[in-house]
Amino acid sequence: MTGNTGSMHRPWRSVGFRLAFYYGLLLIITMIVTISIIYMQTVGVLYQGMTRQVLTVSQKLTTRFENGGPQALIQDIKRELGDDQNSGTELFLYVDSTRAKLAGNLDQPPTKVDGLRGGDHRLMRRRGQEISGYVIARSLSDGSQLFVGNDLHDQEAMDSLVTRGIALACAVAFVLLIGGLFVFRQELDRSVEPIRRTLTRVAAGEIKERVEPMGKEDEFALLANDINSMLDRIEALMSGVRNVSDTIAHNLRTPLTRILLRLRTAAEDASVSAIEKKHIDDAIADIEELTLVFEKLLQIVEAEAGARRIDFQPLSLSSVVNEVVDFYEAVAEVQQAKLAFTSAENCTVMGDPDLLAGAIANLVDNALKYGGIGTEVRLKIEVTPDRVLLTIEDNGPGIPGQELKKLGTRFFRLDRSTAGHGLGLASVVAMVSLHSGRISFDSAMPGLKVLLEFPRHLP
Amino acid sequence: MKDAVGAWRCLVIEDDEENANYIARELQELGYQTQIGRDGPSGLQLASTANWDVIILDRMLPDEVDGLSILTTLRGLGNKTPVLVLSALSALDQRVRGLKAGGDDYLTKPFAISELAARTEALIRRSSSAAENRKLEIADLTLDLASRRVERAGRLITLQPREFRLLAYFMMNPDRVLTRTMLLEAVWDYRFDPQTNVIDVHVSRLRGKLEADGECPLIHTERGTGYRMTADLQSNRKK
Repeated sequence: MTGNTGSMHRPWRSVGFRLAFYYGLLLIITMIVTISIIYMQTVGVLYQGMTRQVLTVSQKLTTRFENGGPQALIQDIKRELGDDQNSGTELFLYVDSTRAKLAGNLDQPPTKVDGLRGGDHRLMRRRGQEISGYVIARSLSDGSQLFVGNDLHDQEAMDSLVTRGIALACAVAFVLLIGGLFVFRQELDRSVEPIRRTLTRVAAGEIKERVEPMGKEDEFALLANDINSMLDRIEALMSGVRNVSDTIAHNLRTPLTRILLRLRTAAEDASVSAIEKKHIDDAIADIEELTLVFEKLLQIVEAEAGARRIDFQPLSLSSVVNEVVDFYEAVAEVQQAKLAFTSAENCTVMGDPDLLAGAIANLVDNALKYGGIGTEVRLKIEVTPDRVLLTIEDNGPGIPGQELKKLGTRFFRLDRSTAGHGLGLASVVAMVSLHSGRISFDSAMPGLKVLLEFPRHLP
Repeated sequence: MKDAVGAWRCLVIEDDEENANYIARELQELGYQTQIGRDGPSGLQLASTANWDVIILDRMLPDEVDGLSILTTLRGLGNKTPVLVLSALSALDQRVRGLKAGGDDYLTKPFAISELAARTEALIRRSSSAAENRKLEIADLTLDLASRRVERAGRLITLQPREFRLLAYFMMNPDRVLTRTMLLEAVWDYRFDPQTNVIDVHVSRLRGKLEADGECPLIHTERGTGYRMTADLQSNRKK
């Protein structure tokens, strides 16, 4: 039941959240791939076309220089600048060996000329205006230099356009992701919640609860159907157990009562001799013994069938143990034994105070009985965030290691010579599991250590 | 409500003839006037028409009648007669607890007749007793419920809270047999069966405090049954 609110505090534990998260991740990856392709197909292709164009022009002009000398080159540059074709974006500069400008629209040669043989980006000035451009440098045979390039303005405009598009798309995707998280979560919660609600109540003992039909044909509706048929089966089994135990109870108890009453009538008869009376008393004692065994067994069976969980209420384990200790204090005193109890705060569990007290009393009783004169029994309650732990430890003779495992099984008795039926611990085990708890036995070196664990009830 | 002869009137609703007869016979010996109802309808008819001091009701009656439904019907009719329910069902049965809360008692089969007798009497006394007496007295022992003061012949006796409750329960039920289970239920509110003689130890401790000065005993052991508090050992002892 701790998972109840867990998905709220630790979103990663919610399937809805994880699904939505993966869905969002997929969405973003798909988008990045798509956008990259678009980017390559637009900006990339344009850029490549531009660089090719610049290279071609620079080659053409170099050939022109080789064939016609500087004058032909200057003329060509002027013509290129004069025509309308790309004249807004094309960049030219022809300088002589002293770096004096002979022709072109750039004011001065770009910096770091050596790096421009294969073409690169540079910041330059064109007619007094600073621009960024792609430029190729060519050294000509007479020591003069030719720079051919292209303004990157359009490229950059395109670039920022596409980048803005990508950013916008990412923002949209993010909003979709967040929205998706909620929609997924809600959709899942809506489908799972009725199932969980029902199962929690069933676990609490309301075995007649069923998941409401959802009126859909999806996976959750199918799951709900499966769960309902499973619950039907469990209920049938449980009521079977109850019926059998009720019937056994009635059909055995009534005749047992009759026998006991008859025997008691007989024992009170004045004509009965002392020996006969002793036999009758023995028979009565035997039947009372039998009744006790029978009572315990039935109780174990019913506890195991979860018969009484409906009655559970939140209670402080500490006060239950305190009362039991108080109850046994007098017995401990008589046999010069010591009972010590320490408890942590806030040890609330769901349970039936009487059944819990009975189980704990049984353990304390055992500890005092087997510990003998002067034994020391220590009870301690500790709490963890979701459990309440009760340890009952004595310093008596304890139990041999290989027998520890058999403790708590029905009819198991360590010492056959003492009175008992081997049902006490078995009923403790049944009571603990009725309270959704766990019990374990360990050696306290010496003595026996019993550890009880119950789910902690948080208000 | 005792009749002309001064006997308590008890109705036994139980389908098992032998059990019913035995209970009736034993109660008669204790001075009750008894009548037996064999099934649900006749039991209900008897219960609602005549005036009873106590009704002993079996849970499992013929034709699947649950004794508790008779009890519910009776209460629905405004009948407040104390009812002792006999149950063959296990003590784990949750409905049994509701019973206790309703002021009635229950007993699981098989039971000792002395237990039945003690509980029946306690039920009658409880319903007929007047407003709770704040000051209880037996012989030279006095107990004040309000100030929680206990004195014997002028000597102050200091008791633990449980010992006080135990003594108060004894003093509220003078001259009556109280079984160990009755003490366990009334003083500790436990319904389980402690294996060792815890109750005996508590009673003997209480006795020790009451009779510290070698005074005469007030709490007497009833062999095989329980205890009885009485000022006079000679009278009131039945057997």
